[in-house]
Order: sequence, then structure tokens, then C-alpha cells
Amino acid sequence: MAKKPVVTPAPQIVDSVESLEAKLARMREAQGIFATFSQEQVDKIFYEAAMAANKARIPLARMAVEETGRGILEDKVIKNHYAAEYIYNAYKDTKTCGVVERDEALGITKIAEPIGLVGAVIPTTNPTSTAIFKCLISLKTRNAIIISPHPAAAKCTIAAAKLVLDAAVKAGAPEEIIGWVDVPSIDLTNMVMRDVDIILATGGPGMVKAAYSSGKPALGVGAGNTPVVLDDSADIKLAVNSIIHSKTFDNGMICASEQSVTVIDTIYDEVKAEFARRGCYFVKKGAEMEALREAMFKNGALDHRIPGMPAAKIAELAGIEVPAKTKILIAEVESTDPEKEEFSHEKLSPVLAMYHAKDFQEAVDKAEHLVLAGGPGHTASLYVHPAQSDKIALFENTMKACRIVINTPSSQGGIGDLYNFGMKPSLTLGCGSWGGNSVSENVGVKHLLNVKTVAERRENMLWFRAPEKVYFKKGCTPVALDELGTIMGKKRAFIVTDQFLFKNGNTRAIEAKLDEMGIAHDCFYDVEPDPSLQCARRGAAQMALFEPDVIIAVGGGSAMDAGKIMWMMYEHPECNFEDMAMDFMDIRKRIFTFPEMGKKAYFVAVPTSSGTGSEVTPFAIITDKDTGIKWPLADYALLPNMAIVDVDNAMTAPRGLTAASGIDVMTHAIESYVSIMASDYTQGLSMKAVKLVFENLPSAYENGAKDPHAREEMHNASCMAGMAFANAFLGLNHSMAHKLGAFHHLPHGIANAIILTRVMRYNAAEAPVKMGTFSQYPYPNALHNYAELARYAGIQGKDDKEVFENFVTALEELKETIGVKKTIADYGVDEQYFLDTLDDMVEQAFNDQCTGANPRYPLMSEIKELFLDAYYGREPQSYEV
Amino acid sequence: MILPDSKTLVAERGNKKVYDLGDKMAKVFNAAKPVSDVFNEALNLARINETGIRSPKALEVSEVAGEGWGILTEKVPGVTLAEKMAEDPSRFYEYLEQFVDLQIEIHGFQAPLLNRQRDKYARMINGLTEINATTRYNLMERLDGMKKEFHVCHGDFNPTNVIVGEDGSLYVCDWAHATQGSPAADAAMTYLLFALEDKQQAEAYLELYCDRADVPMQIVRRWMSIVAASELARSRADQDAEFLLSWIDVVDYQ
Repeated sequence: MAKKPVVTPAPQIVDSVESLEAKLARMREAQGIFATFSQEQVDKIFYEAAMAANKARIPLARMAVEETGRGILEDKVIKNHYAAEYIYNAYKDTKTCGVVERDEALGITKIAEPIGLVGAVIPTTNPTSTAIFKCLISLKTRNAIIISPHPAAAKCTIAAAKLVLDAAVKAGAPEEIIGWVDVPSIDLTNMVMRDVDIILATGGPGMVKAAYSSGKPALGVGAGNTPVVLDDSADIKLAVNSIIHSKTFDNGMICASEQSVTVIDTIYDEVKAEFARRGCYFVKKGAEMEALREAMFKNGALDHRIPGMPAAKIAELAGIEVPAKTKILIAEVESTDPEKEEFSHEKLSPVLAMYHAKDFQEAVDKAEHLVLAGGPGHTASLYVHPAQSDKIALFENTMKACRIVINTPSSQGGIGDLYNFGMKPSLTLGCGSWGGNSVSENVGVKHLLNVKTVAERRENMLWFRAPEKVYFKKGCTPVALDELGTIMGKKRAFIVTDQFLFKNGNTRAIEAKLDEMGIAHDCFYDVEPDPSLQCARRGAAQMALFEPDVIIAVGGGSAMDAGKIMWMMYEHPECNFEDMAMDFMDIRKRIFTFPEMGKKAYFVAVPTSSGTGSEVTPFAIITDKDTGIKWPLADYALLPNMAIVDVDNAMTAPRGLTAASGIDVMTHAIESYVSIMASDYTQGLSMKAVKLVFENLPSAYENGAKDPHAREEMHNASCMAGMAFANAFLGLNHSMAHKLGAFHHLPHGIANAIILTRVMRYNAAEAPVKMGTFSQYPYPNALHNYAELARYAGIQGKDDKEVFENFVTALEELKETIGVKKTIADYGVDEQYFLDTLDDMVEQAFNDQCTGANPRYPLMSEIKELFLDAYYGREPQSYEV
Repeated sequence: MILPDSKTLVAERGNKKVYDLGDKMAKVFNAAKPVSDVFNEALNLARINETGIRSPKALEVSEVAGEGWGILTEKVPGVTLAEKMAEDPSRFYEYLEQFVDLQIEIHGFQAPLLNRQRDKYARMINGLTEINATTRYNLMERLDGMKKEFHVCHGDFNPTNVIVGEDGSLYVCDWAHATQGSPAADAAMTYLLFALEDKQQAEAYLELYCDRADVPMQIVRRWMSIVAASELARSRADQDAEFLLSWIDVVDYQ
């Protein structure tokens, strides 16, 4: 392939608005090309650029010292070395181009893209190293970078940038991928900040504020005022010499450098002696201190002669005589308030403030104040014995600093990877919101990338939960109970039931079996219909005294629900009902975590009616009699451990109950079948349950105990439907029925039955106003699901629609057979009272926990129409859009 | 404008003369003063009059026969606060309190059409030849980072510009440097004006101002290098350039 001839444009000096505009345009073009580079190409460029910078570290350091007249050559060499080598090492394997992450199972892909044109503001304190750092991270992320140097360090800053650029271009990067303003001015700096895509601002608060107010996203960082707390447990030699090592580095020009040291009184003299022994000079209070203050500060600001000067030079400016090789000038001061004490502030030079503290708390208080007053969000340092975890915790919790370094020189510690190898190396240190910054960590390549997240549609994780044992078949009760004794070795059983069943002797067989096995037992037989919290508390109190290791709930939904609640109270008396009853969108993501059950007792549910399925569901409803509030609890923690589905316990149910609970089973099966959370696992159970109800309910209703087979089939259907809706949940039919029960005292099964086919028709709409939200539910599909269910039950038709109509007819016939009336009015609900309560019913039905699983997301106005139609027995309307 | 023979010359400074015309005052500039500056000062004064701040009313701007352009204003009878302070030094602190309260009161006003303080400082800094480009850059950087505020600032608020009227109420004159901007900058300028005369008075002023205005002292101090530069740019004949330069050349925290 023929290579395009490369035309090198004549170098154009950027010194005006026009030349900068032209430069930025050319750089954008270069970046457009760079954005198409592969990771491999980029990594090669990154490598060559880092190498070149590293090679030039000494000449660049020399230029910086000569041009700015500040700092120490040898230390600047280290900074350049660090900016090249450590940054390369930290990011050499980092993926920054294209797909950087892919999770097939979750369907998540992350794609890294460059931001575009980076604007860099570079300070005089660390000009060449900061330039190398910013250029390298820009190259690694396929960005172009335009540098606005400080005029006092323009030559060396530009030299560093040019060197990196040349190496990058040689390695294949587009020309002009790095640029700079040759003749810096505030106007051009502001223009850079206005016209780039992101600003990397390092410098004083003025520059950082300007960056943030430019209207472009900015990674600005701020001033530091690192305090040191020197605890009496610290290794004093290590502490003092670390501080000296750090504070003298580049004559104190690193922003993370120590500015003050607060020493606990008991070791103050020892610390002082160590500083003195290592060549630090303690400024004498009085004239000497005032002369130094006068020389260093002007109106609370630092005199320009001070930054990066050696200690002796600063002393000379103040007219203080100190040994020529003095390392640090130390001013012992009192106030941490910069209004009263200039030495408390950042000094950018080997001058340190020193404070007394009577104890650790006072030292921490001082350090906290110093950080907030002079370097909010930057860095704080503590010297302490590593075993003093309480002190370390107090310090780290108190400091409003984004870097907290322990037993570490802060200049070297703050920039990372030198004294701790988990901290990312960087020359741009974020100070968080405390410092008015957008980042609180050390700035790196991730801040120069736009990461796109590609999210593919995935289906929700589902599970199927059921009691670990479900005994069924007529006469299985003694067999199941036997297991409690012989296999599980249970010693104390507690029976929960209602008065009717107890007096009627329905628990006698169970008690006899327990006696036979030598299992002690007690019984609470006072569960009322719609069990109350008060009743559950009484039962739980009795339980707490008896200390059972197995609980056996015998009865209909009420006894089993009450049993579950007593079980919960017995196992976890500390639990709060309000938290447990909180509504959820997805039971697996709910906020409240139910505590683990079963540590004290095993829970056995023995249904005596064929309807609720409570023996296999994680639901329980309880009413607080004092407030009238119904607490619907739902969590798999409430799932019984064993269910005994033995028709012998349900043989004698009266007709009315058989009808109401039987049609309830039908509703459970149908609603769970079309629920948006239905799965093949639950639908199999629903199908069988529907078929069994159609086949057996009429006879069970008509013949009762005379047709034990029909009774048994209904008992099984109830349990299977229970398992289906325990996992797939219900829908609007139940939401509305709950309110008819609550407001107008319709029996639950009857309330379900009256509205059943109306809600089905409403759900079957092919163009509903809104459909339910669940990943597995792809489009309005209820009509098809109803028809599929009906076909299994033997209902025919030429298409889904006809099958559906026949299904509705069959259900209406079944209702007729078992004596369910047609309308709400037929059940004696007063019209005026119904209308008065209608709006409340509508809102509460909409908000019912069951509504979320409905295939059609209902509008309140629609629920209202459904209620009204069912009240008056109106012809169903079309529910299509 | 024709000045009556009865006029008395009450002050003569640099390029201007101030005449007392009995019930009015005339400030007459020499030919070196740009006419636009004269109009600007009169415009400033008119805007201040409109805010309700107690100040002499602007009456006329015209050329004075035989001299340059002049501004005619009302005369506020009374003596200046500076004179009062000099007359009875024991009451200095009491007058200073009145002075500070008045300044804070003025800062409470807004005049959206007044010149912007920031523009004025930027112009003055950029025009300075006494300092090098790097120092100018540092000053501009500092100015750029200052909080943007829009309060009436007198710009030359010192006791010689405050008149104690015959009823005891205070009036403020000489609004040539008025801008809308940051009160802290205005306070920094007042501090500077005091400091040029008397360091102790300056400290007393700053403490009192910060206390009454509930402003941290550092906020005012951050402005000092900028106001010193703008004062230097005014090139007053008797200015202490060395003193001002020592205030200007400071570095920002990193």
C-alpha cells in the first residue's frame, strides 16, 4: 500500500488568538486520526515517549532549575524519572483502546474512547515532570494535548513536551498530537480552557477556579497544607528523618509536602533534639521569628522570592544567620489560624511550623484545622506505632484529606508508588469536593477516557423455591410426623391452630402421634380468622416459654399465616414489622434482608382447607388490631420447611368454604400462569392445577367427603397452585380482591371469582396502554398464555381468541355450578358506600404488592372501570388501546 | 459652564481643581484629562445617585471656559471624616466604626450598569510596565480565580471622601473609581490607602471591617496584590512604588 507523503508543516509559533485557533484545529485533526489507532500502536507510542522522556531527565531538570531559579537539580531529575518510568510502569498493561472489558454472562461491554483534546495548565513548581506526566497519559488514551505553560517556566515546559512529541511521532503518532502555547498569556490560557474537551489543571487555586469556570469539564486540583501529627508512640528517628527527607525534596515545592508538625508534649523535646541533630534550625522567638515572617509573607501571601529556595537563602533574606547547609527552618508557633499565624499556611519551601499538643486528640484537632484552613482535601500525615489502631482510626476519620499517609514522607508518599505500592503514581492529586475538585484520587488514565457501556438485553435470574419436603397422598400425616421424631430427633413440638379445629378434634391424631414418639407438645388454639398481630404475639410468648424445636401449624390460611409470624417472632424477637412489610419491586432486590430462620425450630404446615397454598408459599398476612393496618409479609424466609398435604385433614370442609377456596385455587393458577414472572417451572404446576380444579371442584363442592378422590385432587391442586404463585406471584385480580375483602368483607375466594374473567379480558388485550416491566416479558402476550393454559384444560377453539372466549365461558359456568354470584352488588355491598370507598380501593389496589407481576401495568382509571363493571355486572368493554 | 467670580478654590491636585461655588461644587480637569473620563465619572455619580446612596447630586458636565471639562455637583455642607479624625484622635475608633459601617452599607447596593471591577483591574494590570510579564500573568491568574460578585464598590473609599453633613449623616463623594464587584477588593483598597499613611490605622480598619462584614481576613488579603497593582497603575505623583511592588510580587499557593 502506498504511503501518503507526509508534509511537515512549517512550525508556527502560537502567540495570538489566531495562531492558537489554527493550532487547535490542526490538533483536532491529528486527534481524529489518533483515535483510530489500535492498542498495540498506542502502546508502542507510549513506550517510546516514556523512554525519550526518561533519557532526557537530567537536561530537562537542569533547564527547569535554570529557568525558574527554584528547586534542586537532583530532585527534579528524580521527578522526571518518576514521571516517565513510574507512569509507564503503572499503565503499560492498561487497556485504553476499544473494548476494555466484556462480560458475556451479564451482557456488558465497556468500550474506551478518547475524550479528544486535553488542555493542560502546568505550574512553575514541577514544570517538566508535570508536562511529561500529562503528555504520557494523554498519549496512552489517544487524546491530543495542548499545554499552556506558566511564563516563568515556559521554555523547559515546552522542551519537555516537544521531546515527548518527537518521540511519539517517530513511533507513529500523528504530527501535532501534542501542542503548546509558545507565548503564554492569561487570555490564551483562558482560550485553551474554553476550546478543549477537558482541562487538566494543576496549579494554584486561581488557575483551578478558572478551569472550573471555563464551562468545560475540568480535572482541577488544589493547594495542599499537609499537617503531620507525631504521636508519642511513633518511631521518632524514622519520623523526624522522613519529614526532613520529604520537606527538603526539591526545596519543599511538592504540593503534598509537610507544612507543619504537631508533636505530643511528652516527646516534644526529643523530637526537637532529633531535628536539630540532623541539621534543622529552630528560629528564635521574637525578633528572628518576626524578621522571617516579614521576609516570607506579604498580606498573608507568600513572597515570590521564597518558593523552592534553600533554607539558608531564606534565612539570609530575613537577615538571620544560620549554617549554610541548614536543611529546614522550623518556627515554633501557637495558632493554626492563617489569619493570625502565617506560618500555619503552605510555604513551598523548607520552612516548617511546629506545634505542641498535650495529647493525641488535641494534635488531631490541630491537624484537622490546618487541613481545612490551608489545604482542604489534599494530604495529611501521621507518625504512630502501627499497632495503635484506635489512633489511626481517629486520624483517618477526622481528616478532610484525600490522601492520608502513615509513617511516610508525604511528598513522596502522596504521589504514590514509592512508599506504598497500591497507590497509583500521579503528579496531579485530586482533593475531592473539600478542595472544590471533581476527583478525590490521584489523576490517571481513566480520567482521560470516555467509557461507553454497552448493555445487551438479558433475562432476570429466577429460582424456584419450595419447602424441602412436601408430603402428599391421603394418609401421609403419620408418616411425615414420624420423620420428625425418628429422623430429625425433635423433642418439643408446638401446634398452632384455631379453636374450631381444636375443639373439633382435628389435631388429635397429630397429638397422638407425637405422644407415641415421646415428643412433648403444647398447643396454641386461639388463631382467629384474619389473624392479628396481637394474637401472634400471644402465641409467640407461649412459644418462647415452651421452647419448641418444631412448630406445626394446622389449619387454613389463617392458622398457617399466624404460625409463620409466631415462628418469625420466636426466632427473631427483635424484628420490626414495618421493615418486613415494606413493598418491593423484585423480592430478590428488596431493601430489607429477612433474618435466617430455623435456628430454633423447624416449621411444618398442615393445611385443612384446599385454597390458600400457604403451606408452600413465602407469604403471610397479619393485621394489627390496634391500628387496623394489614401487614402483608413476603419472603422466602417464611417458607415452611415441610408441608403435609394430606386430604384426611381436609375432608370435612363445608360447602361454602369448598367453593370459595376452590375458586381461589383456580385464580392462583391462572394469575401465576400469565404473570410476567411466570416460568416453565411454575407454568407446569399452574396447568395441572387448572385442569384438576375444572375436573374436581364441581364434585368436591357437590359431594364433599363423599367423593374423597375429588377432595384429594383439589387438595393437591391447591398446593401446586401455591408453589406456582410462590415463585411467579399473582396479579391485578388479587390486588383488587384484597381490597374488596378489606373494604367490603367479601370472602377472599369469592372476591377473586367475581372479577376473574373481567381481569382476564383486561389482561388479554393485545394493545394495552402499558405492559408490565420484566426482562423476560417481551411483548403483550397474555392472550396467548390464557389460551395455552385453556387448551391444556381441554378447551378448544380455532384460534387463541376463540379459545380464550371459551375459557371465559367455562369459568363462568364453573362459578355458576359452585354458586358464585355474578356481581359485587349481589353480595349486598351498598352502592353508595361502594362508590364512596371506590377511589381509596383503586389507589390501594394499584399499590398492592400483587400488581407488579400483572402482565398489563394498570392505570388507576382502568382499575376503577373494572371495579364499577364488576359491581353493576356490566358487559365487559374492550380494553384495547 | 461659567464659574462665578465668587468661587473659592478648595483643592488642587494633579490634573484637577475643585471649586466651592457656595451651594454647588465644581470639579474642573485640565486639558490632559480625557473627556470620556470626565463623562464616565459623572455617569458613575449619576448611577450612584440613582441607587439612593447618600452622595452629592450630579448636575452638569460641560466645558469650562478657559479650562478643561468639568463636573458640577451639589454641595454637601459639612466637614470630611478625615478632618474629624485629625481633629480629635481620641475619637478615631468611633469614627472608624462609622466609616466601616458606611462602607458595608454601600456594598449592600447594586448598580448593574456600573463598570465591572474585574475589567478595571485587568486593564490596569495589563497596562503596568513596572512589573514583568510573569508577575502580570500571576496577578491575572489570581484575579481570574476570584469570586465574581456585583456589589457597588467605591474604589477609593477613604476618610477624605466621606463628608459628615450638618445633620450628622454621612455622604460619600468622589466616585471616579466606582465599579460593581467584590466588597473584599474594595476593603483591600481601603486597607492599602490607610497602610500608605499609617500601618496601625490600617490594621485597626481591617480587623473592624472583617468583623463587621463577617468576612475572613484572608479573603480581603487575597485581593491585596491586585489592588496594589491597580494603585501602582494610577501613577500618583507621590506614590511609594517600592512599597506597592513588595505587595504585588507574591505567589499563589500550589
